[in-house]
This record gives sequence, C-alpha cells and structure tokens, in this order.
Amino acid sequence: MNILVLGIGQSLRGDDAAGLEAVRMWQALHPESAAQVNVETSELPGLVLLDLLEGMDAAIVVDAVRSSANAGIVIRVGPDELASFTSGTGSVHGWGVAETLHLGQLLYPWVAKCRVTLIGINGKNFAIGAGLSPEVQTAMVDVVDMMEREINKYLL
Amino acid sequence: MKTIEVPALARVEGEGGLYIGVKDDQVVEIRLDIYEPPRFFEGFLVGRFLQEVPDITARICGICPVAYQMSSVIALEKSLDVEVSAQVYALRRLMYCGEHIESHALHIYLLQAPDLLGYPSALDLAAIAPELVKNALRMKKIGNDVLKAIGGRSVHPVNACVGGFYRWPDAASLNALIPELDWGLEAAKQTVQWSLTLPYPDLEIDYEFVAIHHPEEYGVMRGDVLSSKGYKTSVADYEMRYFEEHVQHSNALHGHTAFGGTYLVGPLARLNLNHPQLLPAAQKSLKDAKLNLPLKNPYKSLIARAVELVNFYEEAIQLIKAYHPDQPAHANLKLKAGEGCGMSEAPRGLLYHRYKIDEQGMVKFARIVPPTAQNLPRIEADLFVLAPTLVKMEQEQATLTAEHLVRSYDPCISCATHFLKLKVEDVGQA
Repeated sequence: MNILVLGIGQSLRGDDAAGLEAVRMWQALHPESAAQVNVETSELPGLVLLDLLEGMDAAIVVDAVRSSANAGIVIRVGPDELASFTSGTGSVHGWGVAETLHLGQLLYPWVAKCRVTLIGINGKNFAIGAGLSPEVQTAMVDVVDMMEREINKYLL
Repeated sequence: MKTIEVPALARVEGEGGLYIGVKDDQVVEIRLDIYEPPRFFEGFLVGRFLQEVPDITARICGICPVAYQMSSVIALEKSLDVEVSAQVYALRRLMYCGEHIESHALHIYLLQAPDLLGYPSALDLAAIAPELVKNALRMKKIGNDVLKAIGGRSVHPVNACVGGFYRWPDAASLNALIPELDWGLEAAKQTVQWSLTLPYPDLEIDYEFVAIHHPEEYGVMRGDVLSSKGYKTSVADYEMRYFEEHVQHSNALHGHTAFGGTYLVGPLARLNLNHPQLLPAAQKSLKDAKLNLPLKNPYKSLIARAVELVNFYEEAIQLIKAYHPDQPAHANLKLKAGEGCGMSEAPRGLLYHRYKIDEQGMVKFARIVPPTAQNLPRIEADLFVLAPTLVKMEQEQATLTAEHLVRSYDPCISCATHFLKLKVEDVGQA
C-alpha cells in the first residue's frame, strides 16, 4: 500500500509552519513508520498536491488551520468528511487542500480513490516570522500521536 | 448612501479591498486597499549572510519563487563583481522557463478563462470541460517538473545560489522531460489559437509598457529597462526613473514613473516590447494570430501569456538539448563590501532587488520592488475607466466585472494576502 505523509505550511509564517514541524517531529520519533511511507513537506503545494497523490492509496495531510477554536486544538477530517470541508478560498494560487481535492476528484481517478485524511492544528499567529506559538508547540505531541495512529491504520 | 459590498474577489493572490466612492452618480474615488505587507522580508534579510537571501526571498511567493531567487542572486553577484558562466546563465533561464510555464498555464486556464467563459470558478469549468482543465494541469505540471529537476522541488526550489548553483542537475533527469515538453509546446500553440476565440471585453488603455529588454533574447534576466515611451534605463538607474510611494490605503507601495505617471509591467508589456526576440515557434504563433501590436486590452494579457507559453516551452527544449555542463556549477565568491541591483521578469512583471552588503557578506540593506506594487496604480486607473459602467450595474455583476479586470493582471498581492472585497459607496453630500 502506498501512503503519503504530507506536511504543509509556510516556514516563515508563524503557526502556519505547524504542518512542517509535525512531520519532522513524527519522522524523528517514528522512524520505523516513516521508512514505510512516502514523506513530503511543502510550503505552498497548491495544485501540486494532485501530483503528489498520484499512485497513492492513502494520504495523511498535516496542515495548520485557522478557526474560532483555541490555538493548539487538533482536528481530524476523515476521507468521508473532506467533501464538506472547505477553506473558503476560491484562489487557485493558494487553493486549500479540500478545494484541490475536489478538483482532483473531478478529473483524476487516482485522486478519487485515494483516502485522504487531514490533521489540522489550530493556529493563532500567522504573522511573518519563524517559530510556533506556545499553544501550537505544546500540541505537537498530540499531533504526532494522531499521525502515527492514522498511519498505522494503513500499515497494520 | 449606496453601498455594494462583496465578500471576496476570488482567484487573485492577496487580501485587500476594492472601494469605489460615488457622488452624484460620478465615481470620485477608487482604492485597492491592500492590508498586509510583504515588505517585512526586506527587514528579515538585514543581518543575514548573502547566501541565505535567495532561499528567503523565494518564500515571498509560491508562484514565482524563481524570480525572487534570480533577482536577488543577480543583485548580490553585482555587489561582489561576480560574473556567472554561460552555462549557469542558461540553466537559470531554464528555471525561468519552468516558472513561466507553470504560472501562465495556471492563470490562463484556471484563473482567467472561467471569467471569459462565464463560469464561477475553475471547479465549475472542470465539471463542464474536464479535458480542457486536465490539459491545463498537464501543461502546468511540466513547468513544475522542470523546477523540480533543477531545484529539487517544484515549489520553492533550493539549488540556486549566489554565483550559480550548488550542483548541476542530472542531465538524464532533464532529458527525460523532453517528450512532455514537446507535448507542451504543441499544447501551447493550440492555447494561442484557443485564446483568440475567447470573448474579451472591449477596453483599450494607452499604457506605458515597461519591461526588461535585450536585443538578442526575450528579456527575462539581463538587458535594460525599456519603456514604450522610448526610454531605455539601465538596471543601475532603475530607481532614478521608477519610484515607489506609500499611499494611505495600501500596505503595498505604489509604483510610478519619475514623471508621476502609471506604467504597466507584465506579459502585455513584454510581448509588446520584446516580440521581435521571441523564438521561431512563438513568432509563428504570433504571426498566425494576426494581432495588431501593441495589445492595449488588459484582458488580452491572456493572449500574451499564451504566446509566451509557446516561447518558454520552445526555449526549455532548446536549453535542455544544449545542456552539457563541464564547468564549475558556481563561481568562487570573494567577499567584500559592496552594493548591487538586479532584476528579472516574474510571470507577472518586472521584479527589482537592491542590496548592500558588508565585507563579511552580511546584508546591510535590502530593497525589493515587486511587479504587483508597480501595477497597483495602473489597476486602479483601469478601474476608473471601468467605473462609470460598474456603478450602473447590480452588485453581483459589478463585482464580477471588477474582479475580472483585476484578475486579468494576475496580481500577486504577494503571498501576504488572500481576498479582495468590493465596496461601492455613495459618498453623497459632505
């Protein structure tokens, strides 16, 4: 089974880097799992996400999210829930994961069959600058645990 | 008070608002309100070692990182009096081909075409015309693959450095791209033909076009700054002729000429000023299109992008076939204090950088003039031309019309922003 683990985020936009940091931490803590999957990080994948999904049976996408919830809250959006999940943007430059998947599902069978799970970390500081807020940094342990559980659903 | 407010101008890169003030049925004020500045990057760069600069400036934009990298390395090489080899220059042009291909394919088919064809978004277009959008994504992917082969990844490639490249990319990896590039070249030619069939709104503007010009190649990274008014300015003198100023409603600076006029950078400017330097296939596409140059309709920048697509596919194939690196991938740098400026053509227009460095190669000063900042006053001026029509429209139609015009510029309100709101307000009596 081909599995993609993808961390998304801009490294110089505060909590937006949470997805990148989570994937790096998970790789360090779970090297045996990391060796069995395809690991990618990307600052702004946009439509390149569709290329990354080619040949994959499942994907775990880790990204920062912005919502009214408290910073550090971790959410899981499963494959069957992603259809109703949007980031509210119509921009193709910065298309969100959900919109890109919708487009891919319309056009490509490999996207339609790929089981994509989004793990979102609620951030609070997206200003220009490096470093996560304390709440998001604290949540990293939970994020990594959730990633490992999700990945093991496919590996075991 | 008459107010029209629209929640989002989609499919532009950036966040801001569009305000139109109306008094006695006359438009009295138009502002593109830009809230969030990309300019903090200039502050970021101060105190950094010069080799960090290309990888930091690349983060300014996910769509045109190569332009940010190249303008910065050219400027920093100038500050050190470093000349790069012809092989390095050729590979840099190949990176540009990749960037322009992926950006133009995206803009033509997924950003602007839905407007011209009457669809709310690329998703709707994909539902109606899946093969069209699939072809667009395939064309775009080829550009991404070129960047990945050279820079290790398609978004924010990392191989470029001051003096050249950290390592030469594998020739086999580049050669493997040629079949897809050949396909892309034919698809680009068809894109030009298709672009001529689209229903463009009537709008002719007497622009001052400004672009990099080189007599022997399609201006991208070297040459002078040419204006359609007849001025030719060296890169070193760019800041003597083109200024930026702060305006109250925008955190992005506004560019203007030394005479206070607006000017236009981007594909229309490049095509109008540099079409004699297009490669043969692009020349043929242009000739077959029977266009009357200069193109002055901002919506028809789509056609200019399509012709450029042909040119950049064609050039990419040529560059890969000629790729036989046998010299060092980068020049040896001898650090010294200095100052240098450099520019390149991002897909959406001219991008200028200037740096001062100290004797240890640390950045003491950085200045970045992005294309969209130069075009913002021009976009506002175009909207003024359109405004009498806009204020007579219902809110939805006015919004779509204004959005369409703004999108035709492919503005990158520089990764700092996400949306635009349109607000039309009757300011009435004071």
